[in-house]
Amino acid sequence: MLRRFIVLLVLSVAATVSGCGHTPRDTTLNAVGIENQYADVIAQVAGPRVRVRAIETDPDTDPHEFEASPAIARRLATASLIVENGVGYDPWVDRILAASPGPRTVINVGRLLGLPGTANPHVWYDPRTMPAVAEAVATALSAERPAEAAGFQSRARAFVASLAPWKEALESFKRHYGGTAVAVTEPVADDLLEAAGCTILSPYSLQTAIMNGTDPAPQDVAAEEALLREHKVKVLLYNRQVTNPLTASFVDLARRNGIAVVGVYETMPVGYHYRSWMLAEMSALEQAVSRGISTTRLEERAPRP
Amino acid sequence: MRVLGLIYAPGFLSNGPVHTALLVGGGAAVVCAVVGVFTVMRGQAFAGHALADVSSAGGSASFLLGLNPLVGFLGMAALAAGAMEWADVRDARERDLLTGVMLGAGLGLTALFLYFASVTGSATGAAITVLFGSMFTIPASIVPAALAVAGVALAVIAAIYRPLLVSAVSEDLAQAQGTRVRRIGLAHGWALALAVSLSAMTVGAILSTALLIGPAAAGLRLADRPGRSLALAVLIGLLATWGGILLAYDSYDWTPGHGWPVSFFIVVLVFIAYLLAALLARVRARGVSLRAVHPSGCGQD
Repeated sequence: MLRRFIVLLVLSVAATVSGCGHTPRDTTLNAVGIENQYADVIAQVAGPRVRVRAIETDPDTDPHEFEASPAIARRLATASLIVENGVGYDPWVDRILAASPGPRTVINVGRLLGLPGTANPHVWYDPRTMPAVAEAVATALSAERPAEAAGFQSRARAFVASLAPWKEALESFKRHYGGTAVAVTEPVADDLLEAAGCTILSPYSLQTAIMNGTDPAPQDVAAEEALLREHKVKVLLYNRQVTNPLTASFVDLARRNGIAVVGVYETMPVGYHYRSWMLAEMSALEQAVSRGISTTRLEERAPRP
Repeated sequence: MRVLGLIYAPGFLSNGPVHTALLVGGGAAVVCAVVGVFTVMRGQAFAGHALADVSSAGGSASFLLGLNPLVGFLGMAALAAGAMEWADVRDARERDLLTGVMLGAGLGLTALFLYFASVTGSATGAAITVLFGSMFTIPASIVPAALAVAGVALAVIAAIYRPLLVSAVSEDLAQAQGTRVRRIGLAHGWALALAVSLSAMTVGAILSTALLIGPAAAGLRLADRPGRSLALAVLIGLLATWGGILLAYDSYDWTPGHGWPVSFFIVVLVFIAYLLAALLARVRARGVSLRAVHPSGCGQD
């Protein structure tokens, strides 16, 4: 905590200093999606004439443990549109932005959806989230570039329409496998599982303890082990980016008991767009439930240009 | 048994993580109590704490490299113990300074390794686990290795028991008896490293000093004979550790949705034991002095 505070202190100084230097007016619009899934949605809505960047992109590290650097502070200071997750997931963003006030639009997704601060922060797994984000992004960009408003709006509609196959996959899963009992290590994909009609049997207190890296209660650990050992669940979903010896032992126990294991991502994996990512996670879940096939890693695709 | 049922929530003894915690924690408590008695007698409590902090660098390195945490804690603590004895600083002030500087360097390395761990892979909760311990997440596969380490530490102490005791009381006396004081010091240092790495793994690097010196200090307060002090220290260490695990288990029902950290309960119980021992020792001392004033007194206990 102290370490993070010191880093922020240095950052805020750096951000203030860099904010003073004026460069010749750049006409390109800069937008930042803190998590790369939001950057992906911004890019699809904004089209080619907006420069979109993501901050958190590494699908092998834990975004909860992310620490910002001066370069990131500079990037944020020059962006006129920023989409952050909120709900306590990326609190460092607001602190950096407070240090470099400027005309910009900040979309806090948690606030956009009207979620309480204690909600499960992995909101992008809820099928209602990204359509709302796309709409808000289109509105913000239209205010910035009124001449291109029609383009932003139509691209936002196209993006929402493009999610139809995913929603169909969710509906079809619900019809065929609704009520399937599943275990999870962490709440990352809970919203997706609920939308797919699954019943999550893992204690929520265990999920939050693993997410926050605090001491799990032995009762919860025993309950989770019983779910796997007694075959009370069809699948164990684990967060590939939030692992520790305990989650590894759950995965191991599931394997030994012949329960399918699905690794889910917290950050959009390389080579995927939001839509293809969600479809891939859905198909991994379906394969696990219908045929007992495990998927611990989504196939890496060629990086996007 | 029915009375016990009121104290502990159902399922305590049939719970997997509790089993592991009881075994590893019990081993750590016994070794820490035994080694701690000599560490306190030698006036090396601060060195013990420093070793624990330095060992946390090993713990975080094993997180980074994906090794068994015991290997990391142990390797780093043994290195530091060797270095401290090798430096062989006799002057107490100089020794404190050296220890303090090593402690800082060790924690600095911990910060570096934890940072690397969080940018190169998933290191969720690594900092809390290394610094404050996470007894219920210790994998059951570590139990044999941990108990073996405990056994080695106890064997080392048993092998050098007599000369260690004499040199703890007076180095000059030990030297006069022909003891190689430096060798004994080194052996004690390595036993200390084993004890500290076990307790760092259970209650965390920062809190491990409590388990090392608390029960030992209480044992030394309560008894004059070393054998008795040792036995009392072991008893207090075990009671605090197992009691702490039990309370942490019970605490699940105290606040909705989560239990309290087990390390907290252990260090609090150690603290209470030390307070009680100090109080008891004072009461006894007063009894003795009263008897000294009235030689005809009937006090015989």
